[in-house]
Amino acid sequence: MAKKKMTRRDFFKAGLLTGAGACLGAGVLKPTGLWAAPAKVKGPVKIGYQAIMSGTLAGYGEFHKMGVDMAVDEINKKGGIAGAKVVVEYRDSTLKAPEAIKNARYFVDSWGADFLGGVDSSGQALALAPVMKQLGKPIIITHAATEKLNEIEVFQKGIKEVFRISSPTYQDGNAAAFVAKDLPAMKWATISPKYEYGYTCWSMFKNTLAKLKPGVQFVAESWAPFGTTDFRAHINTILDAKPDGLYSVEWAGELISMMKQAGQAGLFNKIKHVMLPVGAAMDVLEGLGKEMPDNIWISGRYFFQYPKDKRNTAWVASFVKRWKHYPAYVSETGYSSIYAFKQAVEAAGSKDAKKVIAALEGMKMQSPAGERVFRKQDHQAVYTVPWGLTAADPKYPFKVMGKMVVIPAQDFFNRPPFKGPESMPPFKK
Amino acid sequence: MLESFVHVCLAGLSKGMFIWLVASGLTLIFGVLGVLNFAHGSFYMLGAYFCFSLLSHLGHNFWLGLILGPLFVCLVGYVVERYFLRYVYHIDLPYQLLLTFAFVLIFDDLVKVVWGAGSIGSPSVAGLSGSVRILGRLFPSYSLFIILVGPLVALGLWGLLEKTWAGRIIRAASSDREMASALGVRVPALFTAVFVFGTWLGAVGGGLAVPYVGLLTPGMGESIIIDAFVVAVIGGLGSLKGAFLGALIIGLLSSFGTRFLPTFDMFLTFILMAIVLLWRPQGFFGEEAAR
Repeated sequence: MAKKKMTRRDFFKAGLLTGAGACLGAGVLKPTGLWAAPAKVKGPVKIGYQAIMSGTLAGYGEFHKMGVDMAVDEINKKGGIAGAKVVVEYRDSTLKAPEAIKNARYFVDSWGADFLGGVDSSGQALALAPVMKQLGKPIIITHAATEKLNEIEVFQKGIKEVFRISSPTYQDGNAAAFVAKDLPAMKWATISPKYEYGYTCWSMFKNTLAKLKPGVQFVAESWAPFGTTDFRAHINTILDAKPDGLYSVEWAGELISMMKQAGQAGLFNKIKHVMLPVGAAMDVLEGLGKEMPDNIWISGRYFFQYPKDKRNTAWVASFVKRWKHYPAYVSETGYSSIYAFKQAVEAAGSKDAKKVIAALEGMKMQSPAGERVFRKQDHQAVYTVPWGLTAADPKYPFKVMGKMVVIPAQDFFNRPPFKGPESMPPFKK
Repeated sequence: MLESFVHVCLAGLSKGMFIWLVASGLTLIFGVLGVLNFAHGSFYMLGAYFCFSLLSHLGHNFWLGLILGPLFVCLVGYVVERYFLRYVYHIDLPYQLLLTFAFVLIFDDLVKVVWGAGSIGSPSVAGLSGSVRILGRLFPSYSLFIILVGPLVALGLWGLLEKTWAGRIIRAASSDREMASALGVRVPALFTAVFVFGTWLGAVGGGLAVPYVGLLTPGMGESIIIDAFVVAVIGGLGSLKGAFLGALIIGLLSSFGTRFLPTFDMFLTFILMAIVLLWRPQGFFGEEAAR
């Protein structure tokens, strides 16, 4: 046991320092009179952010960090949140649910976080929800997409602490069906991840498309476990079924592998309509480069070419200037999550969890992705992300969106009370 | 139906041969040194990254990259064996596992520092980037190439171990370390050499993965190493013949599973492993290795 014990002298020293600090704090650091900033909030605003930073998806963590760091630096340069400095600590979420819970507990119990953010996997988000209720601090989810989070955990079970700023599976399932109804394809098949996210998206796509386009058929499904690198058997399954449309929510590296192998197998010559709900991720577009075929339908949680307004254009430019990289969708959702907390704290005039939660409910905010509104009932941010057809553009070393289709989020997001067909699109005007 | 069957078969063969390339080095190292080398997946990853880097610096000559890249990794393997592993041979297996697992974490992070945390899409190989039409359906030429390389590597290893003087010494040291040492074999040097050779096999597997998987990511060694372990266990730890057969079976089983029994495709390989372990705990050719 070589652990040093604190001697009495150390104890006094520490006491003196704290005392001196307290005097300084009170007398020197605090501006008084007319010149005082409207510092309604005491001490730094601490945000604990977790994302995947190890393993094959570590790139996503980097993209999260780029966006969050940018927001933090901007905010602190302009005087912080209601006069208080923002501090963010990152932890690796590892994509495992127990680790996500451990991180959240560490952030709140040991580090003293006021708010939490991040989280990539749906499984993690669902496991975290009840824990957030216990911890009593708000979290803004920036990536995990399962609709069960807002529909069941928040709306049905009434967990007030959970918000989500990124678009849920409605974008992958419902919006895709709205695009697919106008395509000539009548027989659809899928290669998708063999877990919650894959199943839920495909079933949403099927249900909504069947309602929008009677007579459409779903002829094959092939599920790929997490970590699949060889999609050749899956591709054969699809080719055997001879569909005219392929829908796939494969994502990140696995989507890159699948697209390359599908190209080698000549899949794109046989299947003309391909929809990739998360194909507009920067890692996928950059990873595939010229090997991404033209005329593939792609979408995501944000795409840097949309909206074509001043705010987004300026944001993309400053992002590229700082990181030498186009913003991934998690960069935008991470960035905007910090601003959402800023706006909520300033509206509440406090960083008290209950007041901030109340301020976030129904809050409307302007962000690079456009206007977002946090629905009061289920805490889901409603905003619109385009679907687009891949095309080459000499300005970029990767494929971007050529033709874009913009379906307003209100038209395809499931609506409270999330029961029965009236809660699901298509909605009567 | 025939076309589907043939293509699923081919997909399974290429997958199996690809696993074999990685499992061969793992098996060789276990057979001779008695070390379960978790870091083998890292050598595979490093092989891929080195090949890729050379590829972009050497004017996209894949073959040159495939020859030179793994040599760099051999150097890494040398350091790992000579300065770290050597000191844990005499202690319990769990410590060896811990040490090699530590290297997995270190190499993953090193790759992130050097090449970035994001995934890198890799180029296809000139000359083998196309596809061949087999029964009306396209099959990638590169996968055919992998199907050919697998047996060639197996043949080469067999020749090396059975027909050469070096192979005789390796077999001698693997069956009785002390006796070989008493007869004048410099066992530590031999172990280093075998480890470096095994590393080279893993790194070549990684190099070949560059166009096969089409993607480089930190941590890419972790998924393949699990398959390689399953194969090594089924075949009988330490038996190259067993690993080759195991890889063929696992490749075909998973391919047919994905196509015809999709609900169970994840279980199939592990069920097979469980059955083999119950029926023949030493694996297909386990006895030979334990001889």
